[in-house]
Amino acid sequence: MSTNYKDKIGELVGVEVIEKNGIDVEKLRQLLLAGVGAEFTTYYYYTILRMHCTGQDGEGLKEIVEDARIEDRNHFEAMVPRLYEIGGALPRDIRKFADIAGCPDAYLPDNWEDVEEILKVLLEAERCAIRSWGEVCDYTQNKDHRTYAIAQAIMQEEIEHEAWFVELLTKRPSGHFRRSFVGQSPHTKGQGGLIHL
Amino acid sequence: MVKICRSDDIPEGSLKKFTVGRTDIAVGRRNNTLFACSNWCPHKGASMHKGYYKDNNIVCYMHNYEFDVCTGRLTNMKSWKKSKTWVEQDPAWRASGDLVMYDVLDDGSWIHVLVPSSEGQG
Repeated sequence: MSTNYKDKIGELVGVEVIEKNGIDVEKLRQLLLAGVGAEFTTYYYYTILRMHCTGQDGEGLKEIVEDARIEDRNHFEAMVPRLYEIGGALPRDIRKFADIAGCPDAYLPDNWEDVEEILKVLLEAERCAIRSWGEVCDYTQNKDHRTYAIAQAIMQEEIEHEAWFVELLTKRPSGHFRRSFVGQSPHTKGQGGLIHL
Repeated sequence: MVKICRSDDIPEGSLKKFTVGRTDIAVGRRNNTLFACSNWCPHKGASMHKGYYKDNNIVCYMHNYEFDVCTGRLTNMKSWKKSKTWVEQDPAWRASGDLVMYDVLDDGSWIHVLVPSSEGQG
């Protein structure tokens, strides 16, 4: 992080206040990097998974995967500005970014012709994302209000995504209905990073 | 050393989080062994106090990596292959160090933990 600005304007008050509340800013940067890394890689792998949602079973799944895919990209967009606000940065090399992602790569399973196997991968990815953002929420609650607000909005959508895939796998009753448009992100759209929504 | 809680606050099988300065630590008792470790999983940073025990290991709830409660050593790096058709993760993503352990003392009434000053300063 460049420190030249400190000669001009002193310490960042936005960082100072969260440090005074007990936040270890370096730890928070690492948690956010893990979280946005998982969102970015998930967006990438969901693209592949969606392409393989074909046939009579797969076509019905495709639009739901697309909603989750674009909303996961939105999560990346929503949190990355916060990472830079607190002095963090994305790695220069995308390979490193993938290696430090908080969740596993959502690889296309070998037997992707069975749509249920794709659903299982999707479900695992969402569950990891919930745990990942849960860590950020737990760490920032009542200490870093801005990061918490973004993380809890993301987490709400991740929990919805988990519910979608659980319902598809188990046929349990569901309140889920389609989004108004792909990538609607009803909870995250109020965050500043999503200028396209 | 820093006094963190009463001895009976950490019964057998428990695992709790404490904060010393800015450092979160997990303190637990497993198979009559009292231990204190960093609450930061060396794999991806999950909170160790949310984990559970398996044999003599503490298991991270995030990716189920297992660490020995006595040494902190990584003893089991869980596979991502949930079935034979799932693809294993890249070794660089799977890599993890060992869990950071702290000296801990139970004087019969209180539990004390030694957290290096560079980590524990608030």
